[in-house]
Amino acid sequence: MLWLNLLINGLVWGCALGMVAVSFSLIFATTRFFHVAHAAVYGLGGYVSWSALKHGLPEWAALLVGIVVCGLAGAAIQKLLYERLDRRGATHLVILIASLGLSAVMQNGIAAIYTSNVLQYGLPWGNRTTIIGGALLTNTQMLTVVFGILSYLGAMWFAHRTVLGKRMRAVASNPFLAEITRLQPRQVHIAVMAIGSALVCIPGVLVPLDLGLQPFGGVPILLTATIAVIAGGVGSISGAFVLALVIAVLQNLSLLVMPGEWSIGITFGIFVIFMLFRPRGLFTG
Amino acid sequence: MDFLTTYIVLAEIYVLLGLSTNLLVGIVGIFSVSQAAVFGVGAYLTAFLLMHTALPFPVAVLLAAAFCVGLNILVTLPSLRVSGDYFVVTSFGIQLLATAVFTNWTGGTGGANGLPGVPAPLILGHEFTEPTEFIALTTIGMALGCLCFWLMMRAPFGALLRAIREDELAVAALGKSVLGAKVSAAALAGAFAGSAGGLYATFLSFVDPSSFDLDASIFLLTMVVVGGARTLAGSVLGPFVLLALPQILALIDIPTSIAAAARQLIYGLLLIVFMLFRPQGLLGEKL
Repeated sequence: MLWLNLLINGLVWGCALGMVAVSFSLIFATTRFFHVAHAAVYGLGGYVSWSALKHGLPEWAALLVGIVVCGLAGAAIQKLLYERLDRRGATHLVILIASLGLSAVMQNGIAAIYTSNVLQYGLPWGNRTTIIGGALLTNTQMLTVVFGILSYLGAMWFAHRTVLGKRMRAVASNPFLAEITRLQPRQVHIAVMAIGSALVCIPGVLVPLDLGLQPFGGVPILLTATIAVIAGGVGSISGAFVLALVIAVLQNLSLLVMPGEWSIGITFGIFVIFMLFRPRGLFTG
Repeated sequence: MDFLTTYIVLAEIYVLLGLSTNLLVGIVGIFSVSQAAVFGVGAYLTAFLLMHTALPFPVAVLLAAAFCVGLNILVTLPSLRVSGDYFVVTSFGIQLLATAVFTNWTGGTGGANGLPGVPAPLILGHEFTEPTEFIALTTIGMALGCLCFWLMMRAPFGALLRAIREDELAVAALGKSVLGAKVSAAALAGAFAGSAGGLYATFLSFVDPSSFDLDASIFLLTMVVVGGARTLAGSVLGPFVLLALPQILALIDIPTSIAAAARQLIYGLLLIVFMLFRPQGLLGEKL
């Protein structure tokens, strides 16, 4: 029954990873540059919510505070950093280096304020378990699944049913045409950064509920999510979410044959295979 | 002035790493954030050879450098198939994978505790133990590296690499081998990083994973960006400026618990500020 537990753990972890992947997919497909600092925004959400909780706010309010702060941070990053660089005609390399710098500043800022020790939320209800269909699930895991599915459905609804979502897809598919038809790509970029950053706060809180908060915890998670986004096909929300589930399940099942420290190797192996055989991803034409 | 000598020795080793990073990121335009991983392999391999075999120091460093040539070609190869931003993901992955190997492969690397007791270089019966003696080795290493870089930049090969950065398709259309040029550049960058690793391991007589992690790669990038990308002068200036920074920080009273984070934060800030206001760095060309 070990493999069943691993499978379920994989699916739960996949939902968390899927949220990061969907949020990154929205941003990457629209702005087209590699927003490394997304890993730091993920970390920011967890720490802000932790602080809000320690100041006596109820759990839902603490999460909401985190989401709002992340959303604002995302908009600010786009407006104050990326847009400025873009207006000066900066190359992707320049924007990437700036993003890497921002990521270092935010993560080390967090480490300087909260120390780099692991922080726990200390919510006893998170570890209570229920048996569903023969499998043991904690409340945190169930919340992760619920939020994961809701986030995926929400992102699909946003991209396909709202005016802003349609503008976003238009900007993603042809920035030049979007500019001359007055869809105002720059405003769309800010909005998408805000939405993506707000969304990444949810896994940023849910994952540390189990594992504890670490200032640099976002980097491997973002890397894995990025691999899901690319392997799924850039611009495809379903592709990102499905591949996140697949990668997470494979990572967990790999524990049957090798120790956990090497799971980054599995993830990376999947990426290399995709790059060699299907570089444009699964869910693209 | 042992303190000053140590600073110069380390800066000279980092010049080699700066050349390696500058060659890939600045000149060919392959955005690599895994140069610290190659540096680390060079360091571990030299340490291993000197501790477990009777090979003399120059042979050990040459072997390590040769291995890093192969390794760097291997990790840079995906850039031929995946372009730009996709390669960054590959590069991040390689760096995280390398850190995982350095930390978890306890048998070969000593794990998180590292490998202590790397013997000092022994050349023609003379042992280089003191920084004041070691400085001769690193100066020669740095001079050789700079000479290679300078000759390459003047040669048609340098022009070819710069042309690949600007327009890969046009270079291919002229009948030049993009593959060959990129592989040669990666080989040279690997040799720089590997020999820097050998010098680093023997100078400190100790290697551990924390010197070769993602932060170290970002530090290398900061060095190149601050000194100035795409020029020899930039790669030489960067390490000397950035390694002096922690000494200046030591004068300000920061609690030791946050000193490491504060230092890394300042490197990040430098990256942002330079990208916003001076993308060419102190002595470089526009990125």
